[in-house]
Amino acid sequence: MSPLITCRKLHKRFGAIEVLRDINLEVHTGEVVVIVGPSGSGKSTLLRCLNVLEPISGGELEVGGKRLGDRRTRKRDIRRETGMVFQQFNLFPHMTARENVMLGPRKVRRQSRREAAALADRLLDRVGLADRSHHYPSELSGGQQQRVAIARALAVNPRVMLFDEPTSALDPELRGEVLQVMQGLAAEGMTMLIVTHEMRFAADVASRLIFMDEGRILHDGDPKVLFESPPSDRFRDFLRHVQT
Amino acid sequence: MDFRWDVVWNALPQMVDGAQLTAQITLLGIGGGLIIGTLCGLVTAFRVPILHWLVFAYVSVIRGTPIVVQAMFIYFALPLALDITLSGFAAASLCLAMNAGAYITEIVRGAVQSIDKGLQDAGLALGMSYPQVLLSIVGPLAFRRTIPPLGNQFIISLKDSALFLVIGVAELAQKGEQLTAQTGRALEIWTAVAVFYLIMTFTLAMIMRLIERRMRIL
Ligand SMILES: Nc1ncnc2c1ncn2[C@@H]1O[C@H](COP(=O)(O)OP(=O)(O)OP(=O)(O)O)[C@@H](O)[C@H]1O
Ligand SMILES: [Mg+2]
Repeated sequence: MSPLITCRKLHKRFGAIEVLRDINLEVHTGEVVVIVGPSGSGKSTLLRCLNVLEPISGGELEVGGKRLGDRRTRKRDIRRETGMVFQQFNLFPHMTARENVMLGPRKVRRQSRREAAALADRLLDRVGLADRSHHYPSELSGGQQQRVAIARALAVNPRVMLFDEPTSALDPELRGEVLQVMQGLAAEGMTMLIVTHEMRFAADVASRLIFMDEGRILHDGDPKVLFESPPSDRFRDFLRHVQT
Repeated sequence: MDFRWDVVWNALPQMVDGAQLTAQITLLGIGGGLIIGTLCGLVTAFRVPILHWLVFAYVSVIRGTPIVVQAMFIYFALPLALDITLSGFAAASLCLAMNAGAYITEIVRGAVQSIDKGLQDAGLALGMSYPQVLLSIVGPLAFRRTIPPLGNQFIISLKDSALFLVIGVAELAQKGEQLTAQTGRALEIWTAVAVFYLIMTFTLAMIMRLIERRMRIL
C-alpha cells in the first residue's frame, strides 16, 4: 500500500535559517510515530509543514494521495486529510465545546447543523466530555480543553492526526486524561504523528520513534531498540536530559 | 449669586434643538466613522498593498492635527479647493466622520491583530478557507474586542462635536454661547448645557455597557 505521508528532500527555511534539512519520511496507515528531539530541532515546524500551515521551501510532500504543487491540489485538500492538536489547545473561545467540534464539519464537510451536532456529541462522548458540551473553553480545565481540541480535530474525519506537544501546557495531574484519549485512538488504529516529551508514552504506545536534531532526522526506528541502545551520543545525551 | 431657574426654563426649547443637532451630527459622525474605520482598519490589519500606505497617511494627518483645524479646513478651505459649497451641518458631520474614522481604524486594526494566531491556525488546520476563518473566528472575536474602545471613541466624538460652534453650526455648545449672549446668565446656561452633555454621554455609555454585557468579551 502506498504511504499516507511522503516527504522527499523536504527543506524549510525561515529567512536564512535552515530549520528542516533534507527530511525524508514515509508514514503508513496505522503507524503511531513519536517525534522527539531537543528544543529548536524543528519538530513543530515539521508537523506544520505536513499540513501546510508553513509553506515548504523545497522538496516534495504528498499526504493521503494529494501532492502539494499539483495544479488540482489546494492546501485545504491536504489539511482535510490531517487533524492537528496544538500545545496551547487553541479552542475558539466564543464557542462552546460542542460548537468548537461542529465548526469543521459545518464549514468543511458542509454538514447540516443536526448532523454536525450529532457528530459532535458522539466525539465529545468519546473523549469523555459528553456532560461538558455546552461549556465554553474558559469554563473547562486544561485537560478538558485539550480533549475538546482532539474531538474537534477528529470531526473532519482526518486520515492522520498530528499532535504538537499536546500535554506540555498541562499540569502533570491533567496529562493522563489526554494521553489516555490518545492511547485509545492509537488502539483503534488511527495514524498519528506525536511530538512529545512523554518518554513513557513513547515507549508504551509508539510503533516508531524519530529523533530530530538540528533540522534533520537523526534516528528513525523501533522505540524499544532505540531506547535500549541509543545509537548516538546526541540521542543518549537527549535521553539523559529529558529523564531527569 | 442666585440661580435663576426661569432662565433655564425659558432656554430649554432652544437647548433641546441644539442637543438634537448635536445628536444628529454625532450619529452621522460615528456612523461614517465606523464605515471608514472598519474598511481602513481591515486594510491596515491585512496590509493590503498600496492601500495601507494611503490609510497610514490618512490616520497620520488626522492624529497629527487638532480637530478644530480639521473643521476649519473642511468648512472654509475644502469648498474653495473643490469649488463646492458645504453647509455647516454637512461639514461638521463629515469632519467628525473623518476624525472618528481615523481613530476607529486604529481600534479595528488593534482588535484584529490582537487575535491569537493560533486560532487562525486551528481553523486552517481543520481545512477551512481563509475567508471562512475570518468570518467565523477572527471576525467575531475581533468585533467583541472593539466594543469597549469604540464606546470610548463615541463619547469623545460626541464631546468633540461641541467645537463645531467655530463654524457656526447651531449645535448644543453654540446654543449655549448664543443664549448666554441673549440672557447674560452664564451660570444657568452653561450649567444646563453641561447637564445636557452629561445626559447624552451617560446614555451612550449605558448603551455600550449593555452591548458589552450581552456579548462576552473574549
Ligand atoms: N515563524 C518562524 N520564524 C522564524 N523562525 C522560526 C519560526 N518558527 C520556528 N522558527 C525557528 O525554527 C527552529 C525550529 O523551531 P521549532 O518550533 O520547529 O522547534 P521545536 O523542535 O518544535 O522546538 P520546541 O521543542 O521548543 O517546541 C527554531 O530555531 C525556531 O527559532
Ligand atoms: Mg515545538
